[in-house]
Amino acid sequence: MNELYQAIEARKDLKGKMKLIGIGTGNSDFEVDFFRKKYEVPFPLFSDEDYAIHKAIGEVRTPYFIGVRLKGDGSAEVFYSKLGGFSNANKFLDLMVKSSGL
Amino acid sequence: MTIKKHFSLKCILGLLVIFVWISAASGQSPDFKQNIYQVGKLKPTDSVLKVKLGDRAPDFTLPAVGGGEVTLSQYRGQKNVVISFVPAAWTPVCSDQWPGYNIAQEFFDQSDAILLGITVDNIPTLYAWTNQMCMGGGKLWFPVLSDFYPHGAVAEKYGVLRTDGVSERALFVIDKEGTIRYIDVHDINDRPRLEVLVKELGKLSK
Repeated sequence: MNELYQAIEARKDLKGKMKLIGIGTGNSDFEVDFFRKKYEVPFPLFSDEDYAIHKAIGEVRTPYFIGVRLKGDGSAEVFYSKLGGFSNANKFLDLMVKSSGL
Repeated sequence: MTIKKHFSLKCILGLLVIFVWISAASGQSPDFKQNIYQVGKLKPTDSVLKVKLGDRAPDFTLPAVGGGEVTLSQYRGQKNVVISFVPAAWTPVCSDQWPGYNIAQEFFDQSDAILLGITVDNIPTLYAWTNQMCMGGGKLWFPVLSDFYPHGAVAEKYGVLRTDGVSERALFVIDKEGTIRYIDVHDINDRPRLEVLVKELGKLSK
């Protein structure tokens, strides 16, 4: 995940246009903080201790990725929603950009 | 069509990629894929404790997944001990609790504590389960012990054997003198929070 963050930051065309956040479902703030420090995670992580977010998105298995298009009118649209990680951060980023239509 | 497409692109303020994960320590770790049996919602606790704070922890000897046996009293005067009973291999919450402890070893080290993981499963089952736990690499740093035969005898000794034959999700913190300093017979459906155990470990002498 840190590689994906770095790949996003390295792409000048994506500067300020794409952000990555993580949601630790079932984890407390303490656990998420510990995870952030231990793995030196450079992007924002949020705890979802009571599974509220997890339930809202359909109790998915993890890791799970959701790509959201933030529109000018304040609405948001999901353009990617899939279970599973990735082995190549740059390829995944290309997929995200292509799927988003950015 | 072209105009419409152009308009919609202009309207995108940005993109957000949300990564949802379950880690340290609930839900289901990715390593297990679809091999976790869903047990549904269970009665939170279903046993009567036979020990209390300040008691001498009942001694036991159990076979370990890595080979050999582990006896609780071998740590007396040497190490503080955390015993983590979990109900069963291949079930949802258990399959996240121990991986969480596995990445949190430093908290145990800081308190000069060893963790003993115990279930009522047999060694081959525990072998397969703990191997699957570590598919991402590495190994569990703590011994995993089988309380399979006589079935659940150690869990019974502590009063955490449920009526259906699995153990409670229970934590016992035992100091170097062998005295029980903390007991948490947790709701079987939930994973104990790491910070609570860390706080208890912090109270022990090193």
